[in-house]
Amino acid sequence: MLRRLFALFALWCGASLASTEGIHVKSAELSLNGGEYYLETNFEVGLTPTLEDALNKGLPLHFVVEFELIYPRWYTAYLWNKSVAGLQQQYRLSYNALTRQYRLSFGALHQNFDTLNDALALLGRLRRRFVADVDVLDEGKIYEAAIRMRLDVSQLPKPFQIYALASRDWNLSSEWFRWTLMR
Amino acid sequence: MTRGMKFLIALVLLLGAIMLYLLSSASADTPLFSSDLPLLLGLGVGLVLVLMLVVGYQLLLLRRRLKARVFGSKLTLRLVLLFALVAVLPGALVYGVSVQFLSRSIESWFDVRVDKALEGGLSLGRVTLDNMLRELRAKAESMTLELTERSPQRRVAVLNSLRERAAVHEVTLLGPNGSVIAFSGADPTRLVPELPSPSVVRQVRMQQPYTAIEAVGEGGLQLRVLVPVNDVSGATSLLQLVQPAPPQLARDAQTVQEIYRDYQELSLSRQGLKRLFALTLTLSLLLALLSALLLAILFSGRLSAPLGILAAGTRAVAQGDFSPRHTVKTHDELGLLTESFNTMTMQLADARADAQRNQEQLAAAKAYLESVLGNLSTGVMSFDAEFRLRSANPSAVEILGVDVGALIGTPPQEWAEREPRLAAVGHIVHEAFRQARTDIWEQQAELMGAAGRQDLLLRGSRLAAGVESGMVLVFDDITRLLQAQRLAAWAEVAQRLAHEIKNPLTPIQLSAERLQRRLAEKLGEQEAEILQRSTQTIVNQVAALKGMVDAFSQYARSPEADLQPLDLNQLVRDVVALYESSRPALQLDLTANLPHIAGDAAKLRQVIHNLLQNAEQAVADVAVPRILLRTDVARDGVRLIIQDNGPGFPEALLGRVFEPYVTTKTKGTGLGLAIVKKIVEEHSGSIAVTNLPSTGASVAVTLPMAPIETASLRAHRLAVR
Repeated sequence: MLRRLFALFALWCGASLASTEGIHVKSAELSLNGGEYYLETNFEVGLTPTLEDALNKGLPLHFVVEFELIYPRWYTAYLWNKSVAGLQQQYRLSYNALTRQYRLSFGALHQNFDTLNDALALLGRLRRRFVADVDVLDEGKIYEAAIRMRLDVSQLPKPFQIYALASRDWNLSSEWFRWTLMR
Repeated sequence: MTRGMKFLIALVLLLGAIMLYLLSSASADTPLFSSDLPLLLGLGVGLVLVLMLVVGYQLLLLRRRLKARVFGSKLTLRLVLLFALVAVLPGALVYGVSVQFLSRSIESWFDVRVDKALEGGLSLGRVTLDNMLRELRAKAESMTLELTERSPQRRVAVLNSLRERAAVHEVTLLGPNGSVIAFSGADPTRLVPELPSPSVVRQVRMQQPYTAIEAVGEGGLQLRVLVPVNDVSGATSLLQLVQPAPPQLARDAQTVQEIYRDYQELSLSRQGLKRLFALTLTLSLLLALLSALLLAILFSGRLSAPLGILAAGTRAVAQGDFSPRHTVKTHDELGLLTESFNTMTMQLADARADAQRNQEQLAAAKAYLESVLGNLSTGVMSFDAEFRLRSANPSAVEILGVDVGALIGTPPQEWAEREPRLAAVGHIVHEAFRQARTDIWEQQAELMGAAGRQDLLLRGSRLAAGVESGMVLVFDDITRLLQAQRLAAWAEVAQRLAHEIKNPLTPIQLSAERLQRRLAEKLGEQEAEILQRSTQTIVNQVAALKGMVDAFSQYARSPEADLQPLDLNQLVRDVVALYESSRPALQLDLTANLPHIAGDAAKLRQVIHNLLQNAEQAVADVAVPRILLRTDVARDGVRLIIQDNGPGFPEALLGRVFEPYVTTKTKGTGLGLAIVKKIVEEHSGSIAVTNLPSTGASVAVTLPMAPIETASLRAHRLAVR
């Protein structure tokens, strides 16, 4: 039966510097449906000119979405928190110069886009991802959820990792977006 | 260098080697550690920093050692500099060449013509595909025309024939909402068409035809065209044509595209590659250099360590420490050096021990010689080559009775200046050594000592010219020997004389008495008177002569002394009692509790008698005569001193007063003092005659104590000391 669920904050992250560069969390929420928690998130993804150039020259870019649900332990000074659930989702964005199409791969699935914005829009949208059963959370306790998306630099060829070491153009990551949750 | 430091260095070097291997393999495009490149680089930089710290620390230590002037630190510094130079020069050379070579070779990968060719190939493929797409679109347009002429029901029927006529792979008719109305495909296994995405459907419905080249499967390409089919009713259906590109074309185009992509990627990454290589090379260079420096410090420390040991060893040897040093266990020259140094110190130690032993033996021999010389009753003096006195033994001091120490370093002819008494002896010695024909000479000399005249027998010899040149003088005090000889001779003469003289005396006396008796009545009164006087004179003189001869024989053969413990004071009192009526009163100064002496009472009584008689005779002509008798304890016995205030002994006679027939008196036998001396010598005592400073003479007789001592006696002697 339905336990009462709760909560979430969905903050608009935003406003920020209103630039299209970088990754920003637009919304994030955990919804309870049929005794299971599902994650829905919207990111606003904007590539830096350097990254866009590299992508258009055929360099595939890997993105990773990281989500964690923890129970904060005050008695360890929040250093060793209990991990309740976690999620890691990887995307691969590439460009085919011949067909002039962008391809977004997600596991074995992929989808082609004529424009980069379409591809980025889909990349930023995370729909109904299963996170955990409702039993995992104890009633009455306050849990903390955190999510972010970043460019996976380690998947880049090594010379580009050298760039990433030195330049901000090659580092793309959202801040951790955190909200609390109580069952 | 400590063990921990060595371990740390080994660890760092090992880590460095591993890191370099990983870095060099990471530069190649392998998946190994691809995600840990920053970590790897960080580790490399960290290692370099650690090595720098270690090297800096070692250099600091070296600097401190240099400042403290530790032996071998300069050598260490030079070795370090040398090693560093040897490591830096080739390292820097290889580094420079490598960096230059790498950047050149990386740049050489890129060529404008290749770039253009690839782009050309790509656009060729694109143009071809675009043409095909245009062709397919034209087909779609003509199909649309035919379809619009037909009713929707007919469309389904004609679709297949239209497709076949246009030689299109797959044709699908879609409703306004995107649902499939009709489908016709060349592939009989394919039952369901590939549907366009909703956005495409939306686009086409807005009368915008959609054309696309799509990648399908492994390297395959397909062309897709969607056009609107407008019904009379106003509804808009969609016609989708899908045509796979020829496989050959698709493959080639894909290949070109992939190569183009790789090339672009490479072109993009060349700066990064250069940086990566440069970084790897720099890290390798730094690691190699620092390791070389560290090893240099390590090895030079090991090389110079034996020098430090040797330095410490020499210092120790200089301070007389010959203990073996810690050797270096290497088989090279340094190990050999320390070993031979140890051998040397061992030999030195042995040599020193030998020298010490020899010195001790010499000292022992010298001590032995000195004790022999010291115990010798003979005086020994040695002179150096310049004839200066070098040494004298204790007996020499005793015999000569002077402080010989003051004479050391002076030749005998100059002794007179310091010790006038030795003038004669010095002269004799000087002359004798000067004139001696042979090496050994012998001569007698007289010396006026405190105890009277001494006779010395001097014997001189030159040392064989060898290690030590010089002369040795040996002398004995033969005074007693001579006296004994003289006394023996006198005793002999006296006995014979007594015998020879005494024999005719009795007949003379008897004859004189007979003359008196027989002739007295026959002569006249006057003649008888003369006879009477003459015979009386003869008898008297014979009697006197007899007495003299008796004294003589008594002196010559007096009986053996019978030594008994005796109280000297008592004896003195006994004798003095006989002199109570004598003219000068005798003063007595007797020390109480005198220890007993070993003496013959009768003979000692005669000694006191003789000495008192001498004194009495000496003071006979003095206005206020005075005679003093004193007893006391001397160092080597009990002393009896008799002093008078007479004229004293003439200086010339002082040395010979004890010889028989030496006398100052007009009458007297001259045997008094001789007998005294004889008796004293029989008692193993001594006698000394001196003139008093003012006027008068003093005779001191020292007699040894009785051998049996009582406790009180010993206490007395201790008190005296």
